[in-house]
Amino acid sequence: MDPPLVSESSFSAANPAAYSLDELWPFGGSEPGTGSLGLRMGNLGPNPNGFAESSGNRDGSAEESTVTEQSGGGGGGRKKRKEVSSEDESSKMVSTSSANDLLSESNGKRMKVAGSCVDNDGSKAEVEASSAADNKPAEGSTQPSEPPKQDYIHVRARRGQATDSHSLAERARREKISERMKILQDLVPGCNKVIGKALVLDEIINYIQSLQRQVEFLSMKLEAVNSRMGMNPVMDGFPPKDLGSHQFDASGMIFGSQSMGEYAQSSQPEWLHMQVGGSFERAT
Amino acid sequence: MTPKGVTLNTNSHKIKFARRFIRTLLKMRKNAPSSSSIEEIRKRSQRIKIAAYSSMAHAVGSRRAWSRAILFKLRNRARHHGMMRRRSMKKRVIKNDPPGDQSQTNKLRQLVPGGKAMDMCSLLEETAHYIRSLSTQVKVMQTIADHFSK
Repeated sequence: MDPPLVSESSFSAANPAAYSLDELWPFGGSEPGTGSLGLRMGNLGPNPNGFAESSGNRDGSAEESTVTEQSGGGGGGRKKRKEVSSEDESSKMVSTSSANDLLSESNGKRMKVAGSCVDNDGSKAEVEASSAADNKPAEGSTQPSEPPKQDYIHVRARRGQATDSHSLAERARREKISERMKILQDLVPGCNKVIGKALVLDEIINYIQSLQRQVEFLSMKLEAVNSRMGMNPVMDGFPPKDLGSHQFDASGMIFGSQSMGEYAQSSQPEWLHMQVGGSFERAT
Repeated sequence: MTPKGVTLNTNSHKIKFARRFIRTLLKMRKNAPSSSSIEEIRKRSQRIKIAAYSSMAHAVGSRRAWSRAILFKLRNRARHHGMMRRRSMKKRVIKNDPPGDQSQTNKLRQLVPGGKAMDMCSLLEETAHYIRSLSTQVKVMQTIADHFSK
């Protein structure tokens, strides 16, 4: 039994490229779910330590045994030997072609990553595979994508970016934040030219503070006007009750129809005027 | 400056706010103790400011977090009116911000009402809406002041 062992070990150590070919070949013919999984595991394949841990020498189907037969063809076919007791290659083949649960629970972190990607999204899984396939980049394109589920945010990881679910969620959150920052930049005048999140936040804070100060100033002004008119309400020729309904309509008209266009055009000068009047330090 | 849907939306808020605010002003005018000490004037202007904020919050309704916060605060203030000033409340600050602009984010949290309990995303969203409403408020108050002081 020595020669088969020698050929086996020499095969698994010497030509890792044969793995990829032989792992690509049979799973293209199998059903699509396990096929894609098998391909992903094939991408992870050149890391031998990850697969040495997978102890499951599951019931090797005939297909896998023939595969190992073909892969070992260069060193002389030792089919019996591999099926029975080999730990390195046939176990690897079995684990790659087995179902999701085995993948997610058998191995360490990379397996878990692959499992979570399967849970999340087909495109994520594909991206994960392409980013993980550093040694064999050509295989990422042959990946058949699984049918995507609807209620997930579509996140795409570029090559070299982290792909576990926390990083993906963080990236989605950051995108959302930057999008809202953009909305705020459109809202705050003079904020479009500012570059950098901290400066934009500064501008926003200044703007809100100045608006609140304007409210304060205007309430003081209104208080003066209001108390003046409250002290001698006959001055304008209206008793206060009548004044109420009258002004009510007038103000509704003012704010409803006319002021909209006026404000849209002249908001900036008015704003400037307000700053001068209230002695605010903001200088846009 | 703002997109079309936004102005339409703010327009209805504007009318609602103006109505409510003018009603409050008239009520204040009717039963104003016409004394002109500085303390009285300050108190009255403070009340007008609160009226402006609460009118805006009422106009926006309780759909937004910041208006909810204002309404809640006002209700609490009305309830604890004669009681002690303020007890120290427990602050719920969510700490998942990037550490770079921590101080500015905290500043923004203090400025936007109800912002202490928000995460970054909703804080920015509420800030956008708050800025819109605040500028509307300023414009309306300006117009009222101009109209009255003619």
